[in-house]
Amino acid sequence: MGRPFVLPAKAPERIVSLAPNVTEILFALGLGDRIVGATRFCDHPDGARAVPRVGGLVDPNVEIVRSLDPDLVIGFRGNPLRVLERIGKLGLSVFVLDIGESLEALPPLIERIGAVTRTEERAARLASSLRERIGAVGAAMAGIGARPRVFVLLYGQGLWTCGGESYLDDLISRAGAENVAAHLPKKWALYKREQIVKDDPRVIFVLSKSEADFAAGRDWLARGGRFGSVEAVRTGRVHRLDEDAASRFGPRLVDVLERMARLLHPERFGEGP
Amino acid sequence: MNAKTGRTLFWTALVALALAGLFLSVLTGPVKTTAGDLLEFLRRYDRVQAAIFVDLRLARAVLAFLVGAALSLSGAILQGYFRNPMADPFVVGVSSGAALGAVASLSLGIGATVLGFPAQGLTAFAAGLGIVSLVYLLSSRRGDLRVETLLLTGIAAGALASSLTSFLLFMRSDSFDQAVFWLLGSFQLAEWAQVGAVAPWFLLALVVALWLARDMNLLALGDEAARALGCPVATVRKVFLGAASLLAALSVSVSGIIGFVGLVVPHWVRILIGPEHRRLFFGASLAGGTFLLYCDLLARTLLPSELPIGVITAAVGAPFFLYLLHRKR
Repeated sequence: MGRPFVLPAKAPERIVSLAPNVTEILFALGLGDRIVGATRFCDHPDGARAVPRVGGLVDPNVEIVRSLDPDLVIGFRGNPLRVLERIGKLGLSVFVLDIGESLEALPPLIERIGAVTRTEERAARLASSLRERIGAVGAAMAGIGARPRVFVLLYGQGLWTCGGESYLDDLISRAGAENVAAHLPKKWALYKREQIVKDDPRVIFVLSKSEADFAAGRDWLARGGRFGSVEAVRTGRVHRLDEDAASRFGPRLVDVLERMARLLHPERFGEGP
Repeated sequence: MNAKTGRTLFWTALVALALAGLFLSVLTGPVKTTAGDLLEFLRRYDRVQAAIFVDLRLARAVLAFLVGAALSLSGAILQGYFRNPMADPFVVGVSSGAALGAVASLSLGIGATVLGFPAQGLTAFAAGLGIVSLVYLLSSRRGDLRVETLLLTGIAAGALASSLTSFLLFMRSDSFDQAVFWLLGSFQLAEWAQVGAVAPWFLLALVVALWLARDMNLLALGDEAARALGCPVATVRKVFLGAASLLAALSVSVSGIIGFVGLVVPHWVRILIGPEHRRLFFGASLAGGTFLLYCDLLARTLLPSELPIGVITAAVGAPFFLYLLHRKR
């Protein structure tokens, strides 16, 4: 919030998390039992479902947050700034994190959460293991020649995809491919049907919450969507990515990266082509 | 029942309603609290209860009351000023102009305070006054003020200001909740500092309005007649237009655009206690505050997540506006 955050002298014991990715990171740092409030979207890991709700990402309720008497509130970009400021004016200590545009920003984000929750060691271990896994994918892709063209579909309403400013675009590059929508200077953008037919992506990733949604999306691409001519649809290279894992800036993004890399370049992981 | 007892009844009922609304507001919220909790808190201080009862709920209730009073007084003044029962800060475009001014100063990053007045409030006032003067000039060509022209000009100017406001907001990244706040109003993030910023100016405007109420009574007879009876028409008109714009701009700068309060409340009060302006100004302030207090209670409790308060006031006010328009024809 443009103010330096003073690190607490002792580890916070009552934490309110205002974003699902923050909740995931707190659980990964072993702080699950210190979370006293989370948003209604915080559903991972399973333990997060039992945490009292304080509202949503854009409508956290100030009064409920205050009633939980937290000693640390962790906000994220996506929470309205005015609400965060109002919580701060009640005398609560509020720490706000910004979202990264590339995967590189994830380990430092975890280390910062480690610093404010005084779990520096555990955060350092988690961050370095993520760095290693990201590095391993990079090493496997070293000297790669052809980069298949990829389209990411957020299945639901319209042809939403990730533009060049999205961290998913960065994931696609790291997985040895090229995002057909990379030229769009946005995080998320509506794509044009004709443009997909013209781009002719070799692989399509469908972001979906469940296998059933994925099946519906794949069928829609093949029939209703009239993408029969697209290479990915013709050759059956339409794959699912877990929507929650891929859309939250947390540790599961590295799982998504590994899955993408293996699906795009199985030969680089000692698997049959 | 003679007029005097009727008025006594009106004032008593209004004060009782206002106090009951204040009490209900302090007890109502997403965190469950009872009257027992409140009594317990009054006996023994508790940090969390203090934040919930005083910092959040009471500040919100008091701000809602003040803004309601300011909007309603602004409406009562404008109705007298235009000699028309359909004028109100929202209808004549002041509110939308003020919102544009506030959002423009935010977007341009002007955050300074001038003479203890936040820049946002100042630009809101300037833009609100600008719009209402423009509307007045455009609709009063050739000397006489035509009601239809006035209303249509006000509505058009307001729509234009709102579209510019939306444009400025959508250029920013955190646009959605900001747009809802400025265009539909909310007391969700009310705080005591806002009460402190609005209260003195509201009181000043109320005192001035009560002071000049007799002149407003004369204006109702027409400018010529008023002048003949010794009213300094030009000065009085300027002061009233300034006061009405100030009240609307202050309200908008702390709570966004809340429409129709200034339209319906002075009407109800006029029906109940008559058109004499001193009583009307005072009654409209008290009734407007009480009205918005209850509207805010509804906005907080109708749905699991909060409704913008402008949705409630428009649901009450717009049908009333149509009724007035229809009756006039």
